[in-house]
Amino acid sequence: MEDELYLENIDEFVTDQNRIVTYKWLSYTLGVHVNQAKQMLYDYVERKRKENSGAQLHVTYLVAGNLIQNGHICHKVAVVREDKLEAMKSKLATIASVHVYSIQKALLKDSGPLYNTDYDIVKTNLHNCSKFSAIHCAAAVPRTSAEVSQVQTSVQAGSQTPSDTNAVSVPVVNGHGPSTAKQTAQQPKGIMGMFAAKAASKPQDTNKETKAEAKEAPGVSAVSSKPPAKGNIMNNFFGKAAMNKLKVNSVLEQPKEEKEVVKPSVPVAEPESSPNPVVEKPGKKTESARIQQKDKKSKMKRVDKSDNEEERVPENLKKKRKRIKKLQSDSSDEEDVPPSPMPEEEKAPSPPPVPALKTELEPASTEVSAGGKKRKRKRVLKSKMFIDEEEDCMVTEKVYESESCTDSEDDFAKSKPPAAHKQPVLPLRKEPKEERKNLKKGAATANRANKQVSIMGFFQKK
Amino acid sequence: MTTLTRQDLNFGQVVADVLSEFLEVAVHLILYVREVYPIGIFQKRKKYNVPVQMSCHPELNQYIQDTLHCVKPLLEKNDVEKVVVVILDKDFHYFLPMVSNTCLCRSVLEQLLRAFILKISVCDAVLDNNPPAYHFSCRLYLHRSGSHTGGCHTEHGKDPGDKGE
Repeated sequence: MEDELYLENIDEFVTDQNRIVTYKWLSYTLGVHVNQAKQMLYDYVERKRKENSGAQLHVTYLVAGNLIQNGHICHKVAVVREDKLEAMKSKLATIASVHVYSIQKALLKDSGPLYNTDYDIVKTNLHNCSKFSAIHCAAAVPRTSAEVSQVQTSVQAGSQTPSDTNAVSVPVVNGHGPSTAKQTAQQPKGIMGMFAAKAASKPQDTNKETKAEAKEAPGVSAVSSKPPAKGNIMNNFFGKAAMNKLKVNSVLEQPKEEKEVVKPSVPVAEPESSPNPVVEKPGKKTESARIQQKDKKSKMKRVDKSDNEEERVPENLKKKRKRIKKLQSDSSDEEDVPPSPMPEEEKAPSPPPVPALKTELEPASTEVSAGGKKRKRKRVLKSKMFIDEEEDCMVTEKVYESESCTDSEDDFAKSKPPAAHKQPVLPLRKEPKEERKNLKKGAATANRANKQVSIMGFFQKK
Repeated sequence: MTTLTRQDLNFGQVVADVLSEFLEVAVHLILYVREVYPIGIFQKRKKYNVPVQMSCHPELNQYIQDTLHCVKPLLEKNDVEKVVVVILDKDFHYFLPMVSNTCLCRSVLEQLLRAFILKISVCDAVLDNNPPAYHFSCRLYLHRSGSHTGGCHTEHGKDPGDKGE
């Protein structure tokens, strides 16, 4: 008798009111257990089909079971239309549950109305939502107000509950849940999906604990690498400048490789450079060390507000010195003015020789006699660089040397003795910087007559 | 920070805003359910905490917005009796009930609007299939004023500026 009454109610809902009757909605409306509601819906469909008046009825089913996908076993729960029920059942390896989900007269185009149907009924019965449910948990007890306030304060402090809820809502066991969730989340957003994709592609750069980072397993490694990541941000700043300089001077190494070298090596260099610059042994210099030197130079020179591009990198200096070697007459060495106040601490010897050149030139100019071409010996202040192995640093020393020169050929003659003097030193690799500096001086003095004194001579008068 | 009183808010404007928003959602959903346009141009959106379908076609969206922009002042004046979406060549009247000027709390209003959206979703059960060649129009029926009934309509596919009757 009661069954007949229930079936009449269902018939009224479906046929007269043209409602979508889901098992959950029926359970709350009639006050019956969900399993009983499912059975009632099934009986109604069977009866209507037998009466041949069920043609207007459209039924949706809930199918749950294990699905083997890409070698992984995942549990799938799907709501499908009646015409696709058999196809879904054949896909599943094992079927855990099949029951009627809803009955309606209209053919549904998507699952939106099903959600809409249950939304209000669940919302009104939110406090006793598990009253007619088949899922029970003795520990699932509503929290007291005190516990709720504690949870809220902990959420505000830690902001970790979103990641936990996501872990609960999206199963990560099979490894397929997060990816599918991402796909379904990105598809309907359209333009917003572009931003989401970009945000997902930058988990390593950001230090935020977002949901995407919590979902992704490799994101954990990104989180663990935060301190070096922070260092990388600063180092990339210098690394980029060093890269540009390398490109300008046509470095042999590829930029990509250098970047890869810079990134791991610069974190080592940065703590050294910032507090106390540690000078490396010249014999042990590797490519990474050279790059570190470059970075240090760049840093120093940015601090000193230097405009010279050639003073950054020892390789660049080497190359420029090579150019100086070849040309010996043309040079922009006068522009290579290093205003660094502490040349001894630098690994690269670029700054000192140029001031020495200028100091050399100035007394030389004063000493030139006004009368014709006469050979003279002059005392010229020269700076000599050598490596102090005890302290592992480059030391610049200003020494007066006597040189022979004439009035008109004063500058050219000066270049000869240092070149001749240093020729046997050329093949040596240990002190290439010193000889290059001397050559640089000679070339600089040779060209001194042809070019204006640069403004940097103002700083070198001391 | 200033607080707005009810007088400042202009209750009629608020109602007109709410209704025009709902009408836009309803028109899009009707076009989706009745398959007036291909399903591919529709995108799932969220309104009133439930999923709804909205068109992505810019011209169609602009047409619907322009139409409702004309309806809004009449809603503020409470001159609108009903708004009808008609699929021509086969009359399809879908009457949108007007909300009376009683004070409704937001939750109840949303519940009513959700129920209306749900009804639109199942309207296929009570309607026949569309004819092969058809287009839709929005018709606006106003309250009787004097001896004649005011009304106007716009049809998509024709100049939206046309006004009939």
